[in-house]
Amino acid sequence: MNRTLACVLGGLALVSAESFAHHSAVMFDDVKEVTVSGTVKEFQYTNPHSWLLVDVKNEDGSVTTWGFEAEGPSTLMRAGIRKSDFAPGTAITITGHPMRDGRPAALWMKATRGDGKEFNPAAGFAIK
Amino acid sequence: MIHSCVRHVGRIAIGIAIATAVLTASGQPPQPAPPSAEKQRMINLGIEQKTARALYEHFKQEANGGQTLTWRTVPDWTGVWTREATPFFWDPDQGSTDALPTAKLTPEHQRLLLDKLDKVKRGIEFDPLSNCEPAGMPRWLVEPFLKEFVITPQQTLLINEMQNEIRRVYTDGREHPSEADAYPLWEGDSIAFWDGAKLVIHTSQMRAGQYQRVQPFYTEQVETVEVWQRTDDETLTADVWSFDPPALVEPWYTKQVYKRLSNDDKSLRIRHWDCGENQNNTVEQTETGTSDFSNFTFTEKDDQ
Repeated sequence: MNRTLACVLGGLALVSAESFAHHSAVMFDDVKEVTVSGTVKEFQYTNPHSWLLVDVKNEDGSVTTWGFEAEGPSTLMRAGIRKSDFAPGTAITITGHPMRDGRPAALWMKATRGDGKEFNPAAGFAIK
Repeated sequence: MIHSCVRHVGRIAIGIAIATAVLTASGQPPQPAPPSAEKQRMINLGIEQKTARALYEHFKQEANGGQTLTWRTVPDWTGVWTREATPFFWDPDQGSTDALPTAKLTPEHQRLLLDKLDKVKRGIEFDPLSNCEPAGMPRWLVEPFLKEFVITPQQTLLINEMQNEIRRVYTDGREHPSEADAYPLWEGDSIAFWDGAKLVIHTSQMRAGQYQRVQPFYTEQVETVEVWQRTDDETLTADVWSFDPPALVEPWYTKQVYKRLSNDDKSLRIRHWDCGENQNNTVEQTETGTSDFSNFTFTEKDDQ
């Protein structure tokens, strides 16, 4: 075992901690967070990954659609997140790890609906 | 309205910096804990038997040839299950991504593993699963999400939600196909017998692959022996030996643990996976060899 190997292994904790099962999460910057508020455009409740699309109004009045990726339906169900929880038009504040290339998408970390209820997709990996 | 732009998560970065500094200062990454006496006994059993087939025959001899199930003696493995450990460790005893996998690799496969880990550290990572390929055996054993097990007297179906992967395990006394008719299969070819409530499986004819993204590779010569049993209401275990002479200097023994999930409202159901169902999930390998989305449809930028 040498110093190079030690450095390689040291970095892996960062890279793989939030990797996805279907694809690497390397396109997301897992040391940054982005939080936006807006309204749900569509909840794509699909395998292998779900996408929560959120329309966010910009300062100039234009609207940007952000996509927040999570695991598929079974993991979301285990996290208590159902398709019916995010009907189009639902007010939401959502946080995620953003894309490294600046596109308006992120790895969904947590969300708070307009009524104050919180949703954390990672809770779907808990064994209970 | 965007009310909070991108911000750094300082505590994460600091934690990683400290961890890396500790490793670099010592020059040695944390090693997995030495195997327990029981684990060492299982490791030695694989070493003594030399091949997967020999180990399988050893168990079969101990079971006096095994028993044939009837519908009255089928064990109850019903329910929805998932693996207990993180999918990123083949051996749950690895414990940390700062440590190396517990496999004893040949020099060539040690180099292949370190090359892969170095690329991952540099942000170069692409998983063939992104192309909708099955995980295949033996990686099947450690994939996350839901699993179901269907036991009949003649065969047992081991079902993984991910990629709709079903392993057919024959317990009707048949043999593997002849060597002349054998060819690499995603799930391999599995024959088995019952030793009481234990299912003992020999699997061969697997395709080359990787145990997981940050785990070693295996070759088409890999063969496995698994001993499955239900140890309590909520737990299934599988003692697993991987034999793969080009990659492993000795059989890699691990104990895989699966937990039954509470599902009182019956909401957890295995749904079909179709990677092409949502084009926002399309991931491609870039020119640099890493992964990136290719087909967003929810931004105007994609239409340009």
